[in-house]
Amino acid sequence: MAEDFMKKEETDEMEELLEDDSQKGMFMTFQIGKELFGISISYVNEIIAMQSIAAIPEVDDYIKGLINLRGKIIPVIDVRVRFKMEPCEYTDRTCIIVIDVKSTMIGLIVERLADVDTIAEDSIAPPPSLGRKEHEHNKYVYGLARTGDTVTLLLDPEKLIKQDDIVTAMEEVRKEEQS
Amino acid sequence: MAEEFNTESMLDMFLYESGQLLEKLEGIILEKQDADCFDDADINEIFRVMHTIKGSSGVLMYENITKVTHKLEDVFYYLRESHPDDVPHMELVEKVLAVSDFVTGELDKLKNGDTPDGDEKQLVEDLDEFLGRLKGEIKKQGIQMPQANKHVEPTQFYITPVAGDDSHFYRISIHYRSDTQMSNLRAYSATYALKEVAEDLLYTPDDILSNEASADVIVAEGFHMLLQTKSTKEEVIALIDSSEAEEINFDELSKEEYGRALGEFGREEAEPVAAAPASAKGDENKEAKKEGPKPGDYVVKTKEAGKGKTLAKNQPKQQSIISVNVEKMDALMDLIGELVIAEAVVLQNPDLKVPGLELSNFQKASGQLSKITTELQEVIMSMRMMPLTNTFQKMRRIVFDVSRKLGKDIELEVVGENTEVDKNIIEHITDPLMHLVRNSVDHGIEEDPADRTAVGKPSKGKITLEAKNEGGKVYISVKDDGKGLNKEKLYQKALDKGLIENKPINEFTDKEIFRFITLPGFSTKEEVTEYSGRGVGMDVVVKNIQSISGRLDISSVEFEGSEMTLVIPLTLAIINGIVVQVGNSPFVIETASIKEFVRVGEDSLISEPSGEEYIVLRGECYPFIRLNERYDLPDSNDKIEEGIIVVLEHEGSQVCVLIDKLLQEQEIVVKPIPPYVRKVKGLSGCTQLGDGSIALILDIAGLLLHDGERR
Repeated sequence: MAEDFMKKEETDEMEELLEDDSQKGMFMTFQIGKELFGISISYVNEIIAMQSIAAIPEVDDYIKGLINLRGKIIPVIDVRVRFKMEPCEYTDRTCIIVIDVKSTMIGLIVERLADVDTIAEDSIAPPPSLGRKEHEHNKYVYGLARTGDTVTLLLDPEKLIKQDDIVTAMEEVRKEEQS
Repeated sequence: MAEEFNTESMLDMFLYESGQLLEKLEGIILEKQDADCFDDADINEIFRVMHTIKGSSGVLMYENITKVTHKLEDVFYYLRESHPDDVPHMELVEKVLAVSDFVTGELDKLKNGDTPDGDEKQLVEDLDEFLGRLKGEIKKQGIQMPQANKHVEPTQFYITPVAGDDSHFYRISIHYRSDTQMSNLRAYSATYALKEVAEDLLYTPDDILSNEASADVIVAEGFHMLLQTKSTKEEVIALIDSSEAEEINFDELSKEEYGRALGEFGREEAEPVAAAPASAKGDENKEAKKEGPKPGDYVVKTKEAGKGKTLAKNQPKQQSIISVNVEKMDALMDLIGELVIAEAVVLQNPDLKVPGLELSNFQKASGQLSKITTELQEVIMSMRMMPLTNTFQKMRRIVFDVSRKLGKDIELEVVGENTEVDKNIIEHITDPLMHLVRNSVDHGIEEDPADRTAVGKPSKGKITLEAKNEGGKVYISVKDDGKGLNKEKLYQKALDKGLIENKPINEFTDKEIFRFITLPGFSTKEEVTEYSGRGVGMDVVVKNIQSISGRLDISSVEFEGSEMTLVIPLTLAIINGIVVQVGNSPFVIETASIKEFVRVGEDSLISEPSGEEYIVLRGECYPFIRLNERYDLPDSNDKIEEGIIVVLEHEGSQVCVLIDKLLQEQEIVVKPIPPYVRKVKGLSGCTQLGDGSIALILDIAGLLLHDGERR
């Protein structure tokens, strides 16, 4: 049993090595409102169905609360609310993408999953910045990808979960420890 | 040299092994602290410990450790060889402990990734002086002094393959005991020692440093060396580290045999022969004097090696403990927690509740499953448990040190050192316990033995350290039969320092008076000593104990002694909690901090114009917090008659909290709130309930603090 566990870890490491190549250019795409968004698959841990969320008081509204992922407690954020859109009802199609950004596990609530696409690097263009810099959305979007008729907005998950959130949280934890 | 091989794993092993050896050493020393002298077995053991640490630290080039251990080894070598009488035992004990402390300090530096730069000079001088005195005494008695154990200076790294006239040739085979750790390092230290005298040195396996697997080969087949040297057989033998060796075969070879043997060791015969003519004459003499070993010898040795292998298999006990990364343990614990929940989901599945369903086989099977999961939970909890033996060992040391410094005669009795406590908790109680023990030695036991005999106590003081496990809590008590606490003195002192309200002494209970000593800024000792009495002690002890939700009980009878008892939970990871509901959210409150549940009417509520609210209960007024308002929880009731008031207490201050309803009482596994979520005041963590949902744990201290800030 224990050996299996070890073996699994080893193969995981192997896979990670392999994944670096095979995952390149692969994006998980999902729909929010009318737009299609993409997130590099290397960040994605797993996708789970919507489940009951324990709300936490006194936090930003886009942090919906905590979920229990096989004994691991992780926070979930609603991407719609994060984008300052009106929140919508959660349905059967709503699901949670569990991503791992710099060893922080976070769940993203998205309206519906679309697909896993390979997007060639040369089809990715930087977002047009026609005097729309003040527009909040753009800072999470680092590129636009055109596949056929559709345009996918590629998200930078690190910015999406807002780096300073993590920084301040970490700082507070550190302060706690010191005191 | 260090760059040639992987120092990291060697360092780990060195730290682990040396740490173990030092613990063992301290154990021996403290056991024999009251004896008149060490017996032969102890001397050998200490010698071996020092020798091993010296060897390994030498290889890793920690010179200060090497020098100090070498010196102490010298002392014990001397003791072992000449059995001198009149050894000042106490002084010797102190010397050993000093060395042990020094090495421990250096090892700690290494563990933290620092360079071991402690200054060993003073210690080495002390030991030199001590050894000198020992020897001086012996000389007077006219006993022959043994040859001092020669220190190996790590200077020469190269070998000169030039055979002089008076060169000797040896074949040396060392067979280590099958349980020897790091035999490759030991082998290396042997070659290292020989290099100093060697003109030429060859050995198999030849990759002892670069290849860790060679350790197994050496244990199994022995370590073989070919040596060309000017030194005599005796000198060479003296150089070889024999501490872990099972047997050492030592054969003198002729020049020709040496040449042949070189071939066996994988070197061309021609190379050493080139230097042969110069030494031809000497060789002839030697050949005439002594017959070299037959090639058959070598075969016999390999047979012995086979024996070694079977021996190794017969001693599986050495491997019965493995160290596991705590993270893996935690992962396992999480998984088991999840398993228990999954089990509940299956066994109480609504699909089973179809009327008229025949389930007797299912019930049987599920009963079996529950039994296994419960057992599994117990096993994983027990895996985190560690006996208090090591902690108590440290206390022995403190009693020894402090009582000697203060010139008090004190014996320490230890009861129940095998009591097991969660590993995290052990880390938290060591310091407080150390403080309590010091206090007992310093303040508890009378300075003058006459004071003791005057009240009919034996002149020797006694401190009892006791641990026991009762009802899910661990009780660790430090009891002394000293002068006890003087209530009037405590009261007066607390009053003088303005630490308590001005009430007559008879309005305080004994317990309350004793608790004064835990107030910050309180110290009854008139003079501050090296060990205690700085007045920062007891309040820190109490704080540390409270941080692991334990408490300190004090009882004392004047002139008879006092007893300090730490009451701590068995484990930090699991607390007993009551699950309550506010709105749609479950919260957990630790059972220990709940004073009572009450239901009151609107008339008990006092509202200030500022919005502050108070509850009056039996004439006392408590601050009141509506949890639903505090945390903006929807769908909860606002009417005080319909909810339940929980009275919570933390460190003497109380607060009333309004909740909707009580759900259940259960043991919960505490988990931290992920750091991504900003810290919320009044919440200390979260947990998963039986149905897999998450409940937040209320932190009473944070709630009170928050409440205070708002005002």
